[in-house]
Amino acid sequence: MLIAIREWKERVLSRSFLLFSILGPLVVLGLVYLLFAYGGQAKQSWNVLIADPSGVLKGRILVDEDINIKYSFADGYIEMEEFRDAKKYQQFDALFEVNEKVVSNKVGHVFYRESPSVRMQTRVQFNVERRLEEVMVDQFTDFSIQDYRKIKQPLNLAFHDVNDPNDEASDLRAWVGLFYGVIIFIFIFLFGMTILRSVSREKSNRIVEVLLASVSPNQMMLGKIVGVGLSAMLQFLIWLLIIAGGLYLMRETLFPDMLNAANMNIPELSNQVANPSYSEQYFSAYEYNQFVELVYNKVNFSKLLPFFLLFFVGGYFFYGALFAAIGATMGSESDGQQFVLPLVFLICLAVYSGYYVLNYPESTLSAVLHYLPFTSPVVVMVNLAPEYPAGHEYELYLSLLVLLMSAFAMLGIAARLYKNGILQFGHRVRLKHILKWLKRT
Amino acid sequence: MLEVRNISKSFYRKEALNDVSMKVNKGEIFGLLGPNGAGKTTLIRIINRIIEPDEGSIRFDGDIMTANDLTRIGYLPEERGLYRNMTVESQAMFLGRLRGFSKRDVQTKIDYWFDRFEINDWRKKRIEELSKGMAQKVQFICTVLHEPKLLILDEPFSGFDPINVELIKQELIEMRAAGKTVILSSHNMKSVEEICDRVALIHESRKVTEGSISELQMERKSGLYAVRFRGNMIAFVNALWTGFEVVDKDILGDDRFVVRVKMRGDNSFEDLLKVLIGQVQIEAAWEVLPSMQDVFIDIVQPVDSAE
Repeated sequence: MLIAIREWKERVLSRSFLLFSILGPLVVLGLVYLLFAYGGQAKQSWNVLIADPSGVLKGRILVDEDINIKYSFADGYIEMEEFRDAKKYQQFDALFEVNEKVVSNKVGHVFYRESPSVRMQTRVQFNVERRLEEVMVDQFTDFSIQDYRKIKQPLNLAFHDVNDPNDEASDLRAWVGLFYGVIIFIFIFLFGMTILRSVSREKSNRIVEVLLASVSPNQMMLGKIVGVGLSAMLQFLIWLLIIAGGLYLMRETLFPDMLNAANMNIPELSNQVANPSYSEQYFSAYEYNQFVELVYNKVNFSKLLPFFLLFFVGGYFFYGALFAAIGATMGSESDGQQFVLPLVFLICLAVYSGYYVLNYPESTLSAVLHYLPFTSPVVVMVNLAPEYPAGHEYELYLSLLVLLMSAFAMLGIAARLYKNGILQFGHRVRLKHILKWLKRT
Repeated sequence: MLEVRNISKSFYRKEALNDVSMKVNKGEIFGLLGPNGAGKTTLIRIINRIIEPDEGSIRFDGDIMTANDLTRIGYLPEERGLYRNMTVESQAMFLGRLRGFSKRDVQTKIDYWFDRFEINDWRKKRIEELSKGMAQKVQFICTVLHEPKLLILDEPFSGFDPINVELIKQELIEMRAAGKTVILSSHNMKSVEEICDRVALIHESRKVTEGSISELQMERKSGLYAVRFRGNMIAFVNALWTGFEVVDKDILGDDRFVVRVKMRGDNSFEDLLKVLIGQVQIEAAWEVLPSMQDVFIDIVQPVDSAE
């Protein structure tokens, strides 16, 4: 206990802890803000030059002018290099090359100076597509464009899972789960490294033997893991408070309209998308509102958070024991690096497994990864954010049980390594030694 | 106070201790001697329950030693150190409390020892700000802070500067006077001779000998006597004739000498004095006992050369 408290104090009272506690969440908040702002930045305007030497578009692009994109037509053909370098073209953000074949091969090329947002791309495509439609209708049919528009009904095919007709298990929520899983692993890695450094520092300080005369190696290791873990928890709470507070403030002050339900009635919007004036709203509202809604409304945080904490603790103990064991077996601090690498690899693999499960939730491998203690913290988060299907909740508890049991087992194994390795100084770590230490009780 | 019974310990195939037994009495300073790699540190770690013996047992105050007894032991390992970024006071507090004492008790002890060693000004300093000698003082205080009945010091004189060595020696002697028991391992034979009551010598994992310093010296005395006299050196040598052999001499002044003499045949110390009286003016005469250094080498060397 004293070891844990000392460890906790040493972390918490250090300057870097304070810095990371406050700057970390602020950076996250900043990123979230950027995402919101970027999503909401509908007024970003674009100046597009259309080179249409064969006059396919007949010098016209929109019935109603798009307020964000200004289209200008150039006579004749413009070389890409010329567009890039010539002074007179510098006012244009992009060049759209239309040749006569566009009608048959349906391919157009847009050359931009600065990478446009996805929304901008969609919008340009939408505008050009509609203009081309008009041209084609005029050229190949007897319909007026108004009649054509009447016939052509936009249809949004919505695919629903029979088990989840309201699409609660949406991909996006799994992404939130993945985000939480990744957070778990970031903390596990950061604080795992802290444990490792702390153990190896005690070794190089040679204080370890003084301590061992008062406490057993097991108590020492556990104290260390708990102490560092508590400081991780504290830091995490600070993160949570700042981020939650920040999100709340943002919602109240910066983006109040985003949560206006009328803005988000997507089916209705898509019904009226044929109306050009709605198209704009559609595009602007769709992207960022989904994100905002996701953050504020869609994820069942009340259920996610407790399990997040449980899996965080389980995963932390599991990996923390591993890091402590490595720290204890290291001869010197640099020597341990070679053993840290596989662990980093393991953690990357765990994070990737979350991504894999996100994409292939039904595969056998996903089911295995769900129970594997190395990966379960992140995989369960991915599954938990959209919630488990009814009748499958037991999987969550089973996975938690497996994780906690493996954490205990790992603590036992690590304790052996720790006990035998901690008093060896200045040696070179060999796998042979480690196996011997494991055998020895 | 402490009894080591038939302790054996091997690491893999390497034998560290082989059937080592010894007894440390209450209120004595007990020296654990032996060349490097003999197994001293292993034995000390076993006594401190840091490693477990393969065989044998340790008795503390007559009973099998348990983890609880550790609170009555102070241990200064050979590989010693402190948390570099902790302050002197919090470091002492932490280590004192680890030994199971309340915050208030430890604070009282800290005040006492910091006064005694005159380091009150360093309380808020971090260990990394201290010089090596200062850190050594703090280290020693941390070891004795909880007033242990038994103090175990592994190579206390190596790495400490001469001033601190002297300071620690005096502390140890005072602790013995207060009825406390000290076990120390050392290479420094001079210090051992000065302060130890009894010693055990470990060589190649086995205990080779155990006994009081004077016992060991008496066992290995070689019949050497020293005479300090005033007079003529030639007269001295002539007086000895064939019954004695001059081993070496120190010249103290123009006509003052210390001469070491070995007996020949059945001659005794008394015979020596008899032949000298009247020839030179004897100031002092005594039996020369081997130093612990000599005893140590004497015990260790034959074993080595037998290999």
